[in-house]
Amino acid sequence: MSDTIVMDDSFSKPPASLPASGQASASSRSLARRRFAHALEASSIWIAIFLAWALAAKYLPLGDNPLIPPPALTFAALMESLPELWKGTISSFRILIPGFFLASLAGIALGLAVGASPRLQRVFFPFARVAAPVPPTVYIPYAIAILPTFQLSAIFVVFIGAFWPVFHNTATGAASLEQRYRDNAAILGLKGFEYHWRVALPASLPHVFSGMGVGLAFSFVLLTVAELFGANAGLGRFVQFYADYADYPRMVAGILYTGLITWLSMTLLEKARHRALFWLR
Amino acid sequence: MKEALNNTVRPGLVEGHSQWNQRLRQIQPERGDVVQGSGEGLALENLYFSYDASALTLENIDLAIPAGQFVTLLGSSGCGKSTLLRLIAGLQSPSAGRLRWNGAPISGPSLDRGVVFQDYALFPWMSVVDNIAIAIGKARPGTPKAARREEAAAYLEKVGLASAIGKHPFELSGGMRQRAAIARALALGSPLLLMDEPFGALDPVNRARLQDLLLEIRENSTPRKTFVFVTHDVDEALYLSERVVIFGSSPGRVIADLPVDFPLRRDRRALLTSNAFHALRESVAETLAADTLQRLSGDSDIAA
Repeated sequence: MSDTIVMDDSFSKPPASLPASGQASASSRSLARRRFAHALEASSIWIAIFLAWALAAKYLPLGDNPLIPPPALTFAALMESLPELWKGTISSFRILIPGFFLASLAGIALGLAVGASPRLQRVFFPFARVAAPVPPTVYIPYAIAILPTFQLSAIFVVFIGAFWPVFHNTATGAASLEQRYRDNAAILGLKGFEYHWRVALPASLPHVFSGMGVGLAFSFVLLTVAELFGANAGLGRFVQFYADYADYPRMVAGILYTGLITWLSMTLLEKARHRALFWLR
Repeated sequence: MKEALNNTVRPGLVEGHSQWNQRLRQIQPERGDVVQGSGEGLALENLYFSYDASALTLENIDLAIPAGQFVTLLGSSGCGKSTLLRLIAGLQSPSAGRLRWNGAPISGPSLDRGVVFQDYALFPWMSVVDNIAIAIGKARPGTPKAARREEAAAYLEKVGLASAIGKHPFELSGGMRQRAAIARALALGSPLLLMDEPFGALDPVNRARLQDLLLEIRENSTPRKTFVFVTHDVDEALYLSERVVIFGSSPGRVIADLPVDFPLRRDRRALLTSNAFHALRESVAETLAADTLQRLSGDSDIAA
């Protein structure tokens, strides 16, 4: 795996020595200008929102404890709350990671098995059609009532939410496995676990990862919603707590921080996808 | 067995065009009688195949291919020759009829029968050496991992791919990928190799190189491997094989079965410029063209 990455880098690297003529430096200047323009385009909406925020906070008559706290105040609150937010992150991840990890494991294993077997499809799909669309949030109160700890019930709800997209996508991928891979596996006599592990899983990975992407995003939704019900720490809990006390700078800081953590998590998954699917590039 | 071989592979070159045409006519009505019995080799008896009830893909295929023979199935695209190869590979079952390899019925894929497909023979997520090592692991279970990889590397060297051992299929050219696919088929150690237009997507130079590699493999294999090679390229069929089976289309059926009597060790330049080659080529092309014309006139009947 690491071999390939190294090799891939050597392919994408530009030639080591560029001709040092005036023309070349002019074209590299225009390249730099183009890159700058692209960076500006990519951040234009951020800049616009930030400006609107700063202007609204400054000029709208919002009173003493404004619902739109000025950016400077919010950032100060963010820096001040970092230790508490970090503790909340750990608490949230103790729910998110087991829930999402177990859901991915179960979704992939079951998805591969069901995708490869028409009989299992006949068994599972009628159930999945009814059970999958039920919003997992409705299970939260019952899960809290029935399971011994809040953490367990939240893990359960995250699991349910992330399981269905992973399962559904994996099953679709395994069921629509290209004939050429099936033929090759049949020619080599690959069956059972070996077939699933060495052929069906890698071939279905594009589907698996899109399912995991949806599952992870959904996990964050369910995590924060679950935390509103009974957590004593966590990202969703942080936002709710300071909203209850009308500490809007901290509340907005919590929203920004949660956005950042979500984005980082999604980026991590995307990196893993890119790595695992090196052969599709 | 020996008689059978003598019947299909006659020594010596052939004199002229008209003689070949005559021979073709002679062979057509009695095809299937060329080799009798069900001993060594591949026996296809009264095979029928259809993907759905509305159209027959293969009609009454009756062929006996003695072990060690290099046979080409030649025909235009869509004539069912690739389907026949899939039946022999065991990837599909016939609608009617029987297939046997060395006397045993074919009921599914087996490591006895290696297959090389046109352009997708390797798993893209495995390195080239792993693609071959996995075949070795199946063919000779219990081989330790290091030994499998070593053996795989040796096969890659054999097909001229020593430089590609650690690479992945997407890093190779089409020709290199097909070399690796051939290495995998060899690594399985199958006495019967089925090839479905393996060089169809290659440029002429690479195609010629790989044809020669195949001839070399045939010459160096003991006991001699049996090849069933599917192509729509007349030159390729005649250059490689000892026997050409020509397929007609809709439904796919054998319209001619003729021996290619050139010496087994082939010199490309001498052979392709010889009169005998041209004569044979022309008569084969004529047979194919006649089938195409027949099909076209069938179309116009429907239109009228």
